[in-house]
Amino acid sequence: MKKNLAALVLGASLLTAAHAQAEDVLKLGAPFPLSGPGAAWGTAVLNGVKLAAKDVNEAGGLKVGDTTYKIEVVAYDDKYSASEEVTVVNRLLSVEGVKFFTGPIPSAGLLAVQPMLKKADAVAITLAFTSKAIGPDYPGIFRVSITSHEMAQPQVNWLIKNVGVKKVVGLFENDETGHAMEADTATAYKKAGATYSSEFFERGTVDFVSLLTRVLFKDIDAIELSGMSPTTSGLIIKQARELGFTGKIVRTGGPATQEIVHVAGKEAAEGIVVHAPINPYDEQMAAFIARYEGEYGAGMNGFAPFFYDGTRMMLKAMQDAGTVEDPIAVRDAMAALSEYEGVLGKVSWVGEETYGINRQISVPFYIAEIRDGKEKVVATCNVIVCE
Amino acid sequence: MSFEAFLIQTGVNGLILGALYLLMAVGFTLVFGSLRVVNFAHGEFYMLGGFAAYFTTVTMGLPAIASIPLAFLFVAVLGLFCERAVFRPFRGDELNGMIASIGLALILQNGALMLFGPMPLAMPPFAEGLTRFGSIVIPTSRLLAIVISAAVLAIFYVVMMHTRVGRAVRAMVQDAEVASTFGIHPGLVYPLGFALGVGLAAVAGAVMAPLFSVSPFTGHTPLLKAFLVVVLGGLGSIPGAAIASLAVGLIESYTATFYGSLAADGLILLLAVIMLVMRPNGLLGRAMRVG
Amino acid sequence: MSELQQTNPVPATAKWKIPQEFLTAKSATYCALFLPLAALPLLIDSSFVYHIAILVCLNAIITSGLGVIVRVDQLSLAHGAFAGIGAYASALAVIKLGVPFLLSLVLAALAAGVAAVLLGRLVLGLKGVYFVLATFAFNELFRMIMLLLPEISGGTNGLSNIPAAEIAGLEISSKPGFYIFIALALAATLLVVWMILRSPIGRAFDAISGNLPLAQASGIPPRRYQILAFTSGSVIAGVGGGIMAAYVGFISPESFTFWFSVNTIIMLIVGGRYSIMGPVLGALLLTPLPEVLRSTGQLQQIIYGVCLIAILRFMPGGVSGLIDRFAELMSGRK
Repeated sequence: MKKNLAALVLGASLLTAAHAQAEDVLKLGAPFPLSGPGAAWGTAVLNGVKLAAKDVNEAGGLKVGDTTYKIEVVAYDDKYSASEEVTVVNRLLSVEGVKFFTGPIPSAGLLAVQPMLKKADAVAITLAFTSKAIGPDYPGIFRVSITSHEMAQPQVNWLIKNVGVKKVVGLFENDETGHAMEADTATAYKKAGATYSSEFFERGTVDFVSLLTRVLFKDIDAIELSGMSPTTSGLIIKQARELGFTGKIVRTGGPATQEIVHVAGKEAAEGIVVHAPINPYDEQMAAFIARYEGEYGAGMNGFAPFFYDGTRMMLKAMQDAGTVEDPIAVRDAMAALSEYEGVLGKVSWVGEETYGINRQISVPFYIAEIRDGKEKVVATCNVIVCE
Repeated sequence: MSFEAFLIQTGVNGLILGALYLLMAVGFTLVFGSLRVVNFAHGEFYMLGGFAAYFTTVTMGLPAIASIPLAFLFVAVLGLFCERAVFRPFRGDELNGMIASIGLALILQNGALMLFGPMPLAMPPFAEGLTRFGSIVIPTSRLLAIVISAAVLAIFYVVMMHTRVGRAVRAMVQDAEVASTFGIHPGLVYPLGFALGVGLAAVAGAVMAPLFSVSPFTGHTPLLKAFLVVVLGGLGSIPGAAIASLAVGLIESYTATFYGSLAADGLILLLAVIMLVMRPNGLLGRAMRVG
Repeated sequence: MSELQQTNPVPATAKWKIPQEFLTAKSATYCALFLPLAALPLLIDSSFVYHIAILVCLNAIITSGLGVIVRVDQLSLAHGAFAGIGAYASALAVIKLGVPFLLSLVLAALAAGVAAVLLGRLVLGLKGVYFVLATFAFNELFRMIMLLLPEISGGTNGLSNIPAAEIAGLEISSKPGFYIFIALALAATLLVVWMILRSPIGRAFDAISGNLPLAQASGIPPRRYQILAFTSGSVIAGVGGGIMAAYVGFISPESFTFWFSVNTIIMLIVGGRYSIMGPVLGALLLTPLPEVLRSTGQLQQIIYGVCLIAILRFMPGGVSGLIDRFAELMSGRK
């Protein structure tokens, strides 16, 4: 998979000097967690990027001005560690001469390299959940995922109205991302008038019996899983059902249905209300999923289409700006894209109010119920409301 | 749920944890006792036991109960190989043996990662449903986990007490010179001790696999807990490991249920540190200040 | 350890005598190896090569600290925690108190030193494996405590945007500037370690690790020297941590875990634990390895594991042991 690509790139970069972009190759820097616990996430997203590159290359390459470029994805493993991220991005910037990045995606890693990216005026798309990921200080960074900040409130409002949730406990991983999600989720539930409390646990925990026993003693009618790791959601659902919890379980965070059904089993997963970033029944998305799974095997991770669209938007911005050498022009062209037609639907940039600059992606998203192991869409949402 | 039921439920949870820690700690102590190696790779053998159980049950379709002895066998054989290839040159050399075990841990974990990928794999549980004792509710799968662990430990006890091999290994753990009087070739006792020890870790992994899923990263926490338990119970003492495991399991369960898991982990850690400082032998360990 | 072979007779009237032990075949070999290597990044002038060189020096400094501790036969798994203490002390001093960089490194050293003395007095009496387990527990405790104090540690966010290092008003955050600084810091560290080890203190270290009861019987209080070794080594780690914070610009409790200590151990063993240059060699060989093996992190870790076991087994003196023997051969001694 990426081994051939990396070996090729390695050979080339070892022999040539720092600035070596062959006339018709455009390199995209792709620092992702490809080993260790973040690998599932990283590989999925990398595949989205590679598919975008493949599509463009197969359609004849990226035509910018008079030159046609072949897109090359240079993927390096950041091992989900901030210090490794620094080394990897450093290498991409100075040895590979990359100016356009897909990633980094972990919050800590992104924070560590922001100054470096800014100095190079690089353009990057990220998934990082921290609110510090984007801002007027780093105009080159675009977030192509929706965070709990954007999606918690409309989803929660809908849940309270349609599912009858009154006493909720939210479960979160005890790290940067988890705390950020908790803040948004707490606000959303309290504003919607529900009784809310929260519990934190260490990322990577597998035994939730103590936590669940404690939670169940509190007499709640719903458990909110927010954006925790997908497998962990599955484990919690499985163990909660095993302990006899019959109340509602909801997940207003990122995509996880695949893993939930796999780990908890269809029966335990039945009726769970989840956030669905994509509607698999939408024609365009269904076609994309089919193509993705044909290329990379079954079980597409929900984040892959975001990076697919993000990459293609970056490439389109290059065409609009008429250059691949001037990242600032490309950045401005990318920010100017409005109502871009991606596989996700119509994509725009928002966020000026919250973050000070429009670098937050806005796409329609959905609420779905898991029925017989599959998602059934029950509502369509934007950042204001779900219906 | 009534408060008493809640307390009892928490106690049952603690016993499950205790059973897991017992298997890990006894195996760990066995390895230390026979090879004098603090085995940093012990958690990886737990992880491999889980994978073995996954493959026998899901891939090969054998009945779930067969996964336990098969996991034990597979990992025990692997253990024999590791003892020969990695630890034999360091017999009696504690410091280097320990460092070598770190190298082994790196190899095993990353090897598993390369072979199996990072995604956790789910296994079907041993049993579905709930068992009720009055107002106490125990998931049947967890109840079975306790029962199976208890059975394995019972078998282990019999082997240790009543077979020649077992007595030799036990004697080895207590005093290396005595072991050779049991008529087992001394060269065999080392690998047997190691294989038995890591085999127990594998059993723990196989028993817990349906409950927690298997992935290359599952070894870290059991290793950490094994360390803490043997520190408390005493390195080299099997009864000490037994008492300490159950104690730790209960303390952890009650603390976690009332105060959260971070508090529970911190408390156990603190207890271990205090024990190390005040009484390094642990509760029942043998005197460890020989030169 | 000290060799009296004279290669350059020093005039008795020289004010600063270069110690005779300094001018040996061993040091000549090392100089021949390292001086050109040290100059290399300046010649190539590539940002990335500087980056790797800086990391090599950083790892060498931190590993040297561990080397001192291992001299008294104790293996510290808390090395990461001490680097973390130093890193946080330095970063916080600069961010919150506006302390100049060099002074912040002094604070880092102090913080690590105090913590090391406290911990050392508690656990240094413990025999080998118990000491290791105690330091392991301490490293975990450090991580947990840091996570519980987000006001200090930044929690899981960590501290980002740590200001670039400045010395006497000159910003040294440019790669060549920082490289020169850290190369000098490494040289200073090696000098300090060398001076400690050839002094009576160092001889006491050797006596203790060779035969503790005998050392005790000859009037050397082992405890005191063990604490000294442990503290000096951990102080060096703390200073290394402070430098790391300034260079990477980002630290979090997750940066200083058990695996940090493990990586340091690997570098020490591979480089050679009996030699002062061992840590430098270990850092030199292992730091660029990920760059050469960019394909998978997994393979690289497996190679680390295999190297570790192989070196322990076949080359207990590490690579520096080989070089020492080579140097001796070259100098015509046996």
